[in-house]
Amino acid sequence: MMFGRLLWKMLRSNRGRLAVALVAVTSGAAVISALLNLQFDIERKLTREFRTLGANLVISRGNALQANGDSSATPGAFGSPTLMDQSVLGQIERMRTPDVVAEAPFLYVVARAADTPVVVAGTWLDQISKLDPTWKLGGEWITSREDEAQCLVGRSVAQQFNLAPGGQIELGYLGRTAKLRVAGVIDAGGTEDNQVFVNLPVAQSLANLRGPEGQIQFVQLSVNGTATSISNYAEKLASSLPAYDVRPIRQVTEAEGNLLAHTRLLILSMVLLILLLTALCVLATMAALAMERRADVGLMKALGGSMSRILELFLAEVSVLGAAGGLIGCVVGVALAEWMGRRVFGTSITPRWDVFPLTIAMMVGVALAGALPLRFLGKIRPAVILRGK
Amino acid sequence: MATLVQIENLRKEFGNVRALDGVTFSVESGEWIAIMGPSGSGKTTLINILGGLDTPTSGQAVVDGTDVARLDEAGLTRFRAEKIGFVFQQFHLVQYLTALENVMLAQYFHSTTDEGEARVALERVGLADRIDHLPSELSGGEQQRVAVARALINQPKLILADEPTGNLDEANEQIVLRLFRELHTEGHTILMVTHAHSIGELADRRIDLAHGRLAHKV
Amino acid sequence: MFARIVGQSFARNPRRKMLTVAALVVGMAVATATLTIALEVGDRMAREFRSLGANLLVTPQSDTLPLEIGGVDYRPVDEGAYLQESELGKLKTIFWRHNILGFTPFLDVPTQLAGSRVTDTTLIGTWYEHDVPVPDGTTFKTGLGTTHPSWRIRGRWFRDGANEAVVGMTLAARDPEAFAIGKKIQVTHSDGVSSAASLEVTGIASTGGAEDNAILVPLSFVQAYSGHHGQFRQLYVSALTKPADALADRDPKSLTSAEYDRWFCSPYISSISYQIEQVIPGIDVRAIRRVAETEGRILSRVSTLLWIVTLAALIAAGLAVAATSAAAVLERRIEIGVMKAIGATNTAVTALFLTEHLTLALIGGAIGFLFGAGLARFLGASVFGTPASPRIILLPVVLGLAALVALIGGLIPLRRAARFDPAPILRGE
Repeated sequence: MMFGRLLWKMLRSNRGRLAVALVAVTSGAAVISALLNLQFDIERKLTREFRTLGANLVISRGNALQANGDSSATPGAFGSPTLMDQSVLGQIERMRTPDVVAEAPFLYVVARAADTPVVVAGTWLDQISKLDPTWKLGGEWITSREDEAQCLVGRSVAQQFNLAPGGQIELGYLGRTAKLRVAGVIDAGGTEDNQVFVNLPVAQSLANLRGPEGQIQFVQLSVNGTATSISNYAEKLASSLPAYDVRPIRQVTEAEGNLLAHTRLLILSMVLLILLLTALCVLATMAALAMERRADVGLMKALGGSMSRILELFLAEVSVLGAAGGLIGCVVGVALAEWMGRRVFGTSITPRWDVFPLTIAMMVGVALAGALPLRFLGKIRPAVILRGK
Repeated sequence: MATLVQIENLRKEFGNVRALDGVTFSVESGEWIAIMGPSGSGKTTLINILGGLDTPTSGQAVVDGTDVARLDEAGLTRFRAEKIGFVFQQFHLVQYLTALENVMLAQYFHSTTDEGEARVALERVGLADRIDHLPSELSGGEQQRVAVARALINQPKLILADEPTGNLDEANEQIVLRLFRELHTEGHTILMVTHAHSIGELADRRIDLAHGRLAHKV
Repeated sequence: MFARIVGQSFARNPRRKMLTVAALVVGMAVATATLTIALEVGDRMAREFRSLGANLLVTPQSDTLPLEIGGVDYRPVDEGAYLQESELGKLKTIFWRHNILGFTPFLDVPTQLAGSRVTDTTLIGTWYEHDVPVPDGTTFKTGLGTTHPSWRIRGRWFRDGANEAVVGMTLAARDPEAFAIGKKIQVTHSDGVSSAASLEVTGIASTGGAEDNAILVPLSFVQAYSGHHGQFRQLYVSALTKPADALADRDPKSLTSAEYDRWFCSPYISSISYQIEQVIPGIDVRAIRRVAETEGRILSRVSTLLWIVTLAALIAAGLAVAATSAAAVLERRIEIGVMKAIGATNTAVTALFLTEHLTLALIGGAIGFLFGAGLARFLGASVFGTPASPRIILLPVVLGLAALVALIGGLIPLRRAARFDPAPILRGE
């Protein structure tokens, strides 16, 4: 009863000073919780950024290769990966997780257009813009994987054949032909600029590989996640597709892993520095606040208060301050993290609720540590404190 | 009458300075003693040792059968709470507590609080209408009366007052002194440091200190 | 007298000053470290991103359509245009030559194998470690190591100019015996023009791309083998670049001369491409957009993030210093009261304390800078592998910052102390 009453009075006693301390704790907690939220979210955010690198998993028949006799223009030419049954797509589809950003089969045919050889990539045209988000397009995307009347052409192909969106291209391969409308011109900034993109059935028809047991060459997947989560997913796929070779595209995954690790380490070390600094700042403020109470401590000792009973009062005071400041700071921190997320990544940060107790505990801990010097007053004779020296 | 305070050869040194240099005297229960002497003669040190706020370098200071010099930290704390009532020159009220709460604070540290009892104590010192005021809203005399009420609340054996009127004007001084006279009549034992002879006259006995020694006993 | 008071204050109460100085040291050390890292991070991260490999692709301008699947060109050797190897040294003469970290030419040729179950494959002629003569008389060592850092090898890479070969992993798996390290493989030209040649297998490479199904050999071998002496088809360039911004994406022809100078003198991927096209005529330089864009986005995100974090660090440092400064002033209210009581003006009192504070700020700032330099070195070493050395330009910045926060921290309580009457302060209220 009296304890609560004293605590309440102490908290209300010097509102100005208290406000300063509260502001210090609140801003400290805000910065800490914002940075912690950011730190926890950064990996997810950055891995998503890396998806602009394109596919990071390839599923193929891999090592079970066969030599293909016809070397001029067949899909299996030049030792490119052997064919596989498209039924694998259904199996992959069943194992799809929300982390799979895009998935597309590929079948390459070196066809001829106006007697010039050109690489035709048969794939799922509704997926390729997700697979390679950096592609730029003049014209329209093809949004259906069943559309067999249209195609997308690479920039160099468009130049070579003088094509523009809306134009026509006729592809021929061993007597079979396909007349397609050019829906769009792709500026991929890579080898894809030299290719024609058609839906898988078109390429299969050209290569005479169509049918219920249609053939493809490989499947590319773009999977979101950390290096570990991607390799876990790859292992899961591999174990359920024993006949196939599931391989991460190393150039992408390795670089991604390194960069992520370094970026995270960098941000983490900065966050730790700020954490330390903020804690010090709060500590200093709380220590100053506590030291102002030293005359009260002396008086209470003179009145016969034992050190433990006196300390419990002041520690309760700073704990309340720490907890209150911590709580307000956490809320402000979430807003701050949100702002940072928008500023840096253009998307919001998912607040982590476990940051709340962590931050509040840290603030209370720091506040208590700041009040700890009061403990030393226990050793000093009250006469000395009362004299005010 | 029983001896309440027995001081034997009490010494206190602050570094090279001898604040008390072998003081011996005793106080009977119910006595009012005035401790007098010039600045730096050791008056406050003596009071502080008797009240358990400070420890002597050597010698004995027995209060109600307890040798203050032998008490440890916890013992001193209990001793202050149970046996001593302090009245300071600077009042030393807690600024953010009301008059009532300042009195209750002493109860809190002694045992349990009893608001009714604290009210009665304040009414006794004539502050019935000032109970819920903060020290800053009270005059010096009123603050000192709160301090007296606080000193009495736990029925201490010994009231120690260090220049209780030193910071007061004439009128307030009279009020506070009248209070001490009443306490004396009721049988309280009072040790009061003062350097005003007029106040010293009110006491039963005077102990004069000079350079840490007893100069003269009345 | 002024100096004497300040001097005495320092001499008499060094411990109280210690706290303020300590806060300044810690605060400014963190400020120095974060600023150093923030200033360097762009460059460091850009270098890190080179682990993604090349970001520029150079091809002949008037070329036939490459038949390229997954990085290997399947065109017959007599088709399409070629680039001259002798021109490559010029890459190291452009304005941003130091940002050209490496480049690797490629020449692919279909081939047939004798004595193996695998009959058809592609020979990829390239450099692993090749000394390129630069027009200024020096040589520049470059090759796959810098442009394709993710490629792995079991065994060792071929030596430049030797009749040695590195076999792709998938290809090697198709006939492990014929492609074992130390074995000789016989290659014959598809059209039967060239005579057969013998190559010693020195390693098995794993690239994660179409090269896994081909044989990597020294460029000079493929040139001689296909009869295209001194020529190649594609060049991959790895360049340190700055993330693109509004200026980078504009057409250089539409820029004013001041803008053009700024564009030309910024290591944008577009300006580096432009500079390469200028020194080697007849080529087409394209950014590998997938790499360049990812790099640009992440780079700008990380550096924005870092600047925000740095800002937070600066604010935290400022608050810490201001809080201790304020506490230091508050502790001395009585002194201020006495000074005012004996007739000091507010200005005089303020000047006195601020001078003291500034002195502390400069001492603390300087020590903090030194600690921060150490911290930055450590952080740089642990994050990027090489220590980050602070720029001396940061010293005045940090000192100014220290002075500023100490002044702000000191001024507010000083103004409050100055406003009050000395009497209550002296009474201890």
